[in-house]
Amino acid sequence: MSKIKKKILMLVAVILLVAAFGAGCAEKQAPSETPSEKPTPSEQPPQPEVIKIGVLLDLSGDLGAIGQKMKLGAELAQKEFDSLGGIGGKKIELVVEDAATDPAKAVEAMKKLVEVEGVKVVVGPMTSSETLAVAKYVNDRNVVIISPSATAGKITELGDDYVFRTVGSDDLQAAALLDLMKSRGYSKIATFVIANDYGIGFEDYFKKYVPEMVALSIRYDPQKGDYRTELQQVKDAGVDAIIFVGYVDSGKVVFRQAADLGLDEIDWLSSEGIAENVMFEDAKTADFMAKVEMIGTKPSSTGFTYEKFAEKHRQAFGSDPDLFSDYTYDATMLAILAAGTAPSYDGPQIREALKKVSEWYNGATGYKLFDENGDPAFYTYNVWKVVKTDTGFKYEIIGHWAPATGLELIP
Amino acid sequence: MPFETNLLQILFNSLISGSLYVLVGLGLTMTYSLTKFPNFAHAEFITLGAYIVYAMTDILNLGLISGIIVSMLITGFVGVACFLMVFRPLANRKGTMVHLMISSIGVGIFLRYAIQQIWGGQELHFSKVHFAGYNLGPLRVTSLWIGIILTAVILVIILHLILTQTKLGKAMRATSNNPSLAQASGIDIDKIIMIVWFLGAALAGLGGFFKAADTRIVPVLGWGILLPAFAVIILGGIGSFYGMIAAAYILGLAENFSIIGLISLGISTDYRTAIGFVVIIITLIFAPTGLSGINFSKWFKRRRPHEGEVME
Repeated sequence: MSKIKKKILMLVAVILLVAAFGAGCAEKQAPSETPSEKPTPSEQPPQPEVIKIGVLLDLSGDLGAIGQKMKLGAELAQKEFDSLGGIGGKKIELVVEDAATDPAKAVEAMKKLVEVEGVKVVVGPMTSSETLAVAKYVNDRNVVIISPSATAGKITELGDDYVFRTVGSDDLQAAALLDLMKSRGYSKIATFVIANDYGIGFEDYFKKYVPEMVALSIRYDPQKGDYRTELQQVKDAGVDAIIFVGYVDSGKVVFRQAADLGLDEIDWLSSEGIAENVMFEDAKTADFMAKVEMIGTKPSSTGFTYEKFAEKHRQAFGSDPDLFSDYTYDATMLAILAAGTAPSYDGPQIREALKKVSEWYNGATGYKLFDENGDPAFYTYNVWKVVKTDTGFKYEIIGHWAPATGLELIP
Repeated sequence: MPFETNLLQILFNSLISGSLYVLVGLGLTMTYSLTKFPNFAHAEFITLGAYIVYAMTDILNLGLISGIIVSMLITGFVGVACFLMVFRPLANRKGTMVHLMISSIGVGIFLRYAIQQIWGGQELHFSKVHFAGYNLGPLRVTSLWIGIILTAVILVIILHLILTQTKLGKAMRATSNNPSLAQASGIDIDKIIMIVWFLGAALAGLGGFFKAADTRIVPVLGWGILLPAFAVIILGGIGSFYGMIAAAYILGLAENFSIIGLISLGISTDYRTAIGFVVIIITLIFAPTGLSGINFSKWFKRRRPHEGEVME
C-alpha cells in the first residue's frame, strides 16, 4: 500500500471521527470560560421602554415537536399582558431562540440572548442537560433563568442561584414511579433510559433506593435509532416491567422495535418525557402503547386553574395545551411579573422580585412558591395510562401522587 | 449478567446489521474501485432512497414494491447526476482524490439540506407498510428482517454472477483494474462508470429504505451508517467485493455483541460506534490491505493509484 493511499485513509478516518464525536464532545462540555466583564452592583441600567423576556426552547431536534407547542404557552402569557396594555405601561417583547435539543447550541443561543439582545430574564431551557450547561454562564452574568421542564435532581444541587424552575425535581417523580411500581407488586425491573442527565437521574434513583429490584439497566443514545439488541437483553432478563425514560422521537423507535421483538408481555412504565400526543401520530407506536397499557407519571396538569388556562389556550390557538405548555405559561408569567415589578431591568433585582411574586402567584400548574434552591415548593404528579378511544388514543389520568399523600389511584 | 442471553437472537440481529452494511457498502466499494475516491455523498443516497420510498408509499399511495423500484431508479439517477455534474468535471480538471473527497462532502451536505427542505427535519415513519412479527422457535423475526437478509444475499449472488459471467462484469473489472488499458481495448469506460454509479446509488437507496423501515426516517439517516460502511470497506480491503461482504458481517457481530458488554458495564450503548473506529485503526496499522490482502484479492486486486490519477 502506497504512502499516499495510507494518508488518505487516515484522512477519511479523521473526518469520520470528527463528524461522529465532535457533536458528542461538545454536548458534554460545560461552558468553561469566565466573562471578562462583570456588571458592577452600583450600575443602575435605565428602565427600558420594552421589557424583553428571553424564550429559549428546543424548537427543533429530538424535542422540537414539544418545544413548538410550549412556545404557545409563552405567547399566551404575553398576550394576556398585551391585552392590559403591557405591565406598568411597558410593552413585553418575547425574544425567542432555538436550543435544538443540544446543550452546546443552548449555550450559544443563551449567549446571543444575553450579549446581543441584552436579555436579563429567560424562560428555558427545556432539558436538564441544557439547563446544567448554561447554569455557570447565567450565574456569572446575573441572568435569571426559569426552566419550564428541566426535571433532573442535579439542578436542585446548584442551590440558591439564578436558576429557577416551575417543574418539580425528578427525584420526586422517581419516588412517584417507585410507589406505582410497588403498588403493582413488581420484584424485578429493567430500566431503559436516555443517556443524559434526565434519564440517568431516574436510573440512579432506582439503583440507590431499590438496588435489589433493578435486574438490568440500559442507557441508550437518542441519535442511534436502533435498539434491537438492547431490547432483546430486556426480554432475556425476564423482568416484570421495563421503566422507559426518554424523549418522543427516540421513544417512537424504541416502542416500534419493542413491538417487532414481541416485547409486550411485560409491563411498560414511563415518565413525562413521552406523555405527549405526538406519540400517537405514528400508528404502530400508538398501538403498542395501548396494547401494553403503558402507565406512567407526569407533572400535574389538572385542577381549576389548569382548566382555566386550557380554555384560554383553546380560544387563542384553537388547540388543547400539550405537555409542559402550562409550565411554560407559568414560567413566562413569573418572568413578566418579576421583570415588571423589579425597580430596574437588572438581573439581581429581577431575581429578588421573582422570589417575591412567587409567594402569591397561583398559576395554571398551581401555587408556584420557590424553595431555597429555586425549585417549586409544592408539586403533584398525575398518573397516566394510554387508552384507545373511539377517536384515537389518549393519556387518561388514573391517579395522583404528592409527597404528603403518596399514591392515590382513581378507583 | 444474572440471566441467560438469547445468543441465537443476538446472532440473528448481527445478521441484520451485517446485511444492511452489505447493501450500503456494495455501492460504496463499487464506485470506489472505479473512480478511486471515497464518496461521502453516498450517505445522502441512502437517506434519499428512504425518503423517496416514503413519498411513494405514504404520500402517493403506491405499493411498497413499486415504491422501492421508483426510489432505486431516482436515487440511481441522482447518483449519476452527481457524478456527471460534480465529480467528472472536477476529475477532468486534474482534481486529486482529496479534492474529489472534499467535494463529495459538499455534495452530501447540499443533498441533506435539500432533503430537509422538502420533507422537514422531523422524524418520519412508514405508516402504510406493515411487517408482521412472529416467533420462530427461540427466534423472534419480522418479515422486514428476513427481507433485509434475503435481499442482501440475493444481491450478492446477482452481482457475483454479473461480475464473473457477463461481458458487463468483465468490462467493470477491466475498468477498475486499468482504465487506460480498458479503454484501449475498446471498452466504453464512461458508460461503465455511469452504470456503476447508477447501481451504487440505487443500492444505497435500497439499503436506506431498509434501515429507515427498521428504525425511522431522518435527514441524518445515511450519515449514521456511513462510518460503519467505511469501516467495512477498509476492513474488507478497499475496492474488494468479497472482502467487504465478509467484513460487513464481522462488524455486525462485533457491534451486537459489544452491546451486551456495554450494558453490563453500565455505559451508554452508543459507544458501539467506537467499534467501527477500532476496526479502521487496527486494520490500517496491522493489515492495511484488509481482508482482501489475505484471501479475496482474485478479482479486484487493483494496481496502486498515483496521486492525481483519479480517473479519465
